[in-house]
Amino acid sequence: MVNLTPSEQTRVNEAMLKGMRVSADEEAAELKNDGAAITASEPVDAEFDPEDLVFDASDLSVFYGDFRAVRDVNMLIKRNEITALIGPSGCGKSTVLRSFNRMNDLIPTARVQGNLLYRGVDLYDPRVDPVEVRRRIGMVFQKPNPFPKSIYDNVAYGPRVAGRKKGLDDVVESSLKKAALWDEVKDRLQESAIGLSGGQQQRLSIARAIAVDPEVLLMDEPCSALDPIATARIEELMAEIKDEYTILIVTHNMQQAARVSDRTAFFSVEVDETSDRRTGLLVEYTTTEKLFSNPDDDRTENYITGRFG
Amino acid sequence: MVELRGNFHEELDAVRDLIVTLAAHVTEAIPRATEALIDNDLQLAQEVIQRDIELDVLSLQIEERCYALIALQQPMASDMRSIVTAMKINGEYERSGDLAVNICKGLRRSYGMTLSPALRGLITSMNEEAVRLTRLSVDAYAERDVGLAAALPDIDDRLDDLQVDFIQAIFSAHQNGELQLQETVQLALIARFYERIGDHAVNIGERVLYMVTGESPESVGEARDKLAEEFGHAIDGDLFDVDEAESE
Repeated sequence: MVNLTPSEQTRVNEAMLKGMRVSADEEAAELKNDGAAITASEPVDAEFDPEDLVFDASDLSVFYGDFRAVRDVNMLIKRNEITALIGPSGCGKSTVLRSFNRMNDLIPTARVQGNLLYRGVDLYDPRVDPVEVRRRIGMVFQKPNPFPKSIYDNVAYGPRVAGRKKGLDDVVESSLKKAALWDEVKDRLQESAIGLSGGQQQRLSIARAIAVDPEVLLMDEPCSALDPIATARIEELMAEIKDEYTILIVTHNMQQAARVSDRTAFFSVEVDETSDRRTGLLVEYTTTEKLFSNPDDDRTENYITGRFG
Repeated sequence: MVELRGNFHEELDAVRDLIVTLAAHVTEAIPRATEALIDNDLQLAQEVIQRDIELDVLSLQIEERCYALIALQQPMASDMRSIVTAMKINGEYERSGDLAVNICKGLRRSYGMTLSPALRGLITSMNEEAVRLTRLSVDAYAERDVGLAAALPDIDDRLDDLQVDFIQAIFSAHQNGELQLQETVQLALIARFYERIGDHAVNIGERVLYMVTGESPESVGEARDKLAEEFGHAIDGDLFDVDEAESE
């Protein structure tokens, strides 16, 4: 933020920051009255420092048109933790992940109900700029998606869009180092990113995401297209960077969730008998150790032991 | 309910059946050792000692199948607890089998001693309690009977009392000149072997509680408190429990 040159982007950013201050103040109550449903986050536990609360989702539902895709999402996401979202196909875990940086805005009929606070600010407040949201809350997708540009330009893309012109070399180097890719590409930064292997491309995607200095990284099945070695690299990378970032990861691989995450949310799906529509819901959210050794809910137990109801 | 890991769960059941077989062998070995002791039957004692190898083979088989299941199936939740429990109680039963062997070896070291009817009666009672506890522990395991598992420590009290009575009885017998010092020491050790069989059954009960509920009596108490002090409440998962925090 400090390094950004004055530009339209920064003005937009300031507008958003202003919005953040407003909603954190007592004006939040006023907004609440007109249905914007903004609440300042409250300390939830004596052990829990409110400073560490990154996301506070309460009674969150996501709709596509009339259809409620996922409901009952109540999650507090703690800073510098890795939170895994698991569950069968159609349970809404990716939908929920995408709602955390307003990626669903790109789908015209999508909307959310309930509260989703980021640092105490309602992410869906009309005054909040989705572009700034996505800068602070970066995303890494299932398939590596390098731009058809050089390795350097891929990483420098975000900072350039944000108006940054100086010190790009440093940003590129530090981002690639954090993404554990620097040593492999430092001598060919001007070569096309398309020539990298799948695992390298995915680490490049991570470097690109962290080049704009986000606080949160959302990862949507980041290893599903990778081989076990490349997967292990990404998992190791996640463990290395979690001191700096808060990470949410959707994964189909339960073992991966168990290996990498501090907390795990298990989503399930309910099928409406009459309409045959499937609605996802959050079933259980607790520490990863607890969830995989002694879950409270039978649905969680059945899913992770391979007994499907 | 659709079973997606049928082979895996069948294999888990097979491990359970092997444990039950192992426990059955142990419950046979204990009275045979006792019979040898009371009848001064060295040949029977030798048989019990030799047949322990079958128990050891079975135990090794169980252990290796558990390793394979962990390596190949990455068990989670209740499956994980079942395998960990099988491995733990496998060791408990194997050890109880060794204790039956130890009783026979004790007989060998004190061969020829004369046991009074009172001492024989106490040995028979200790034998019955040890067998009963072992049998109840495997019932609790096979039936996943939490109530029975939790009752084992209380049931074991009777065996502990019998052991105390027996020690007093052999001391008196020694003072009266009925038993030599060497025989007295061997009998004290033998009483201890019976008592240990009871303790293993109690341990098995604790593991059954863990298997079924995810909690064992060891989950509370001084050691658990100290662990929490040193490492924080890493596994209780209430950090984010808003409802709980609000109700406080």
